[in-house]
Amino acid sequence: MQRREFFKVVAGVGAVIVAPSLITTDLRADDGRLYKAYNKVQLVDGDGNPILASKLVEEENYIFNYPFVGVSSILIALPEKTETNVKLKSESGEEYIWKGGIGKKGNIVAYSSICSHQMTHVNKAESFISYQKRCQKTMACPRTGVMVCASHLSAYDVHKGSEVISGPAPQPLASIVLEHHDDDTLWAVGVLGADKFHEFFKAFKSELKEQYGGARKAKKKVKDTAQLVALADFTKDIIQY
Amino acid sequence: MNRRDILKFGAISAAAATATLTGCTTAPKPDNSVKPAVGMGSKAPLPAAKGPRVVIVGGGWSGLSVAKYTKKFAPNADVVLVEQRTQFHSCPISNLYLVGAVDLEFITHDYLQAARENKYTYFNASAIGIDKAQKIVKTTNGDIDYDYLVLSPGIDYDYSPWNVDLATEQRLRTEYPAGFMSPSEHMTIKSKLEDFEGGNFIITVPGGNYRCLPAPYERACLIADYFKKNEIDGKVLILDANHDITIKSEGFHSAYDEMYKDYVEYVPSAAIMSIDLENKKVIAGELEDEYEFTDAAFYPHVRGGKLLEVCGVAKDNAFNKMEGNIDPFTYEVIGEKNIFVAGDARPMGYSKSGNTSNSEGHYLGKLIAERILNNKDIKWKSPLTVCYSAVSAMPNHAISVRAEYEFKGKTLAGFTNVELSQEWRGKTGENNGKALMEWAKGMYRDMFNA
Repeated sequence: MQRREFFKVVAGVGAVIVAPSLITTDLRADDGRLYKAYNKVQLVDGDGNPILASKLVEEENYIFNYPFVGVSSILIALPEKTETNVKLKSESGEEYIWKGGIGKKGNIVAYSSICSHQMTHVNKAESFISYQKRCQKTMACPRTGVMVCASHLSAYDVHKGSEVISGPAPQPLASIVLEHHDDDTLWAVGVLGADKFHEFFKAFKSELKEQYGGARKAKKKVKDTAQLVALADFTKDIIQY
Repeated sequence: MNRRDILKFGAISAAAATATLTGCTTAPKPDNSVKPAVGMGSKAPLPAAKGPRVVIVGGGWSGLSVAKYTKKFAPNADVVLVEQRTQFHSCPISNLYLVGAVDLEFITHDYLQAARENKYTYFNASAIGIDKAQKIVKTTNGDIDYDYLVLSPGIDYDYSPWNVDLATEQRLRTEYPAGFMSPSEHMTIKSKLEDFEGGNFIITVPGGNYRCLPAPYERACLIADYFKKNEIDGKVLILDANHDITIKSEGFHSAYDEMYKDYVEYVPSAAIMSIDLENKKVIAGELEDEYEFTDAAFYPHVRGGKLLEVCGVAKDNAFNKMEGNIDPFTYEVIGEKNIFVAGDARPMGYSKSGNTSNSEGHYLGKLIAERILNNKDIKWKSPLTVCYSAVSAMPNHAISVRAEYEFKGKTLAGFTNVELSQEWRGKTGENNGKALMEWAKGMYRDMFNA
């Protein structure tokens, strides 16, 4: 693992977060809220085999549940290296640095699928938020190759830590912090940026009961492995604009 | 997006461009005199404010959004939402309620929940006036002191262009409500449809900048769909004061032509000249054509909510009467520090829609918070109009538009970054229909959840 593949949260008073993962990087935020380490989890396929970064299909929306059982995240292997050391700002004005994509090309990124506007998210029934390929025009903004929430047409720049390009979203999506190991395997270790998990679990009780057997089960932290599947295999209906 | 649609979509903006938004022809002089006769003269039963008090009058899409985001960005503010209704009833999505595609519960929400979740006070009363000198809002439940005041009274109906007397106006409001304000109006129209046995059902589309530009056309589609599915020998007669469908015209026209040929008749340039309720006849258009009807929902011109006029903060503008006399970027009443008007009572030629008011509320809440915390304003941000319209129900198929606004100086130049999705057929239309419901759920979450 490269220490440089991680980031520094800049603001306020220094606070070292000791993560249960291998992260020992100094993380500084007002109170540590902008980075939170969760269980270190390996991404695997449906048979439990490790996902290899080099085998990912570029521009495919991949879904894995992390950091909680009931929270879906989106992973994308972009066609090119992302930008690096992007300064982002949460809705409450806290600044943090997104270091960039991982993998040999620096092109693999992952974000929580919970839209920062009103928590539209990828679920098993239908999905209104997804990365739209460079060849796909979107109603949300003139650019292509962006993450779009079709619910209220927010667009996020996945090359820049999901900085908001247009629409009502008040802040970037929470980034899922990944590790790429020497054996080409992929691991999720934490969440960077302002997340909406607390509000999400309050707002979607009935959905979580239907899909995960209840909020309590959905709130369990993912351990050891997380299955990575194509969005089309995860959800019944993909809705994009 | 079709060029013809851009032109039509920009029609209202073109009108706006002819009048500066701050230019005032009939602005009343500020009246700072104390009027002891107004209100009850006793304090409202509220605890003493623990911080700067922001009173928001009107708990629609605008007021709810301003209340939430003011408190969110200025946690030290004491935010009070004054609302006369005991429960929230959503105008967006109500057309689907009319035809039974959603139930009342879907569009009805809890003010107490919104207040609890977002840490402000919901005060159930009607505002009846303000005392600007003493900074007091007079309500039916006592007086409330304010440091910042937001008036979001929404629209009222303006029947004056139809030249009807007050008795006829009252009958129109009661027997043939427009269905763009109160839940009772929606319930009345729903009952009309359930009992409808055949003939013409008239829907009027007013001129000016009326509330929810596509809604009458959407309503026509959904009623036609209802007639068709229930084998009712009826026709929706759309008498439109405008020269063509004002928004998403390609989508609506094609829906009428392809799905509802025997169920919808669209009549452009059909401003109401007279209404004969006894004989159920309407005279409309320059050629004074006569139309008979079995039943109707007459949508008149709109104006700013009456409260603005009562408070002396209204003026007529290029579109409508008695809307807020405000700065278009700060929403502040001209000459009145820290009194704002937002929502559908604003004078700017924005689409009077839920999404517009909600996005505007985010901005204004942040602006007021910045004044409270740092005594300065924030950079103007355009409201966002995202508007889905159902053309059929169960399953819903819809069309949509998104747009922002741009100014030249203080004059609204028109829409910008306009995107239209007018394909209601097949999977695209079905996805639009799903997005319509997801849009609504998200909006309700925004206003009623933390």
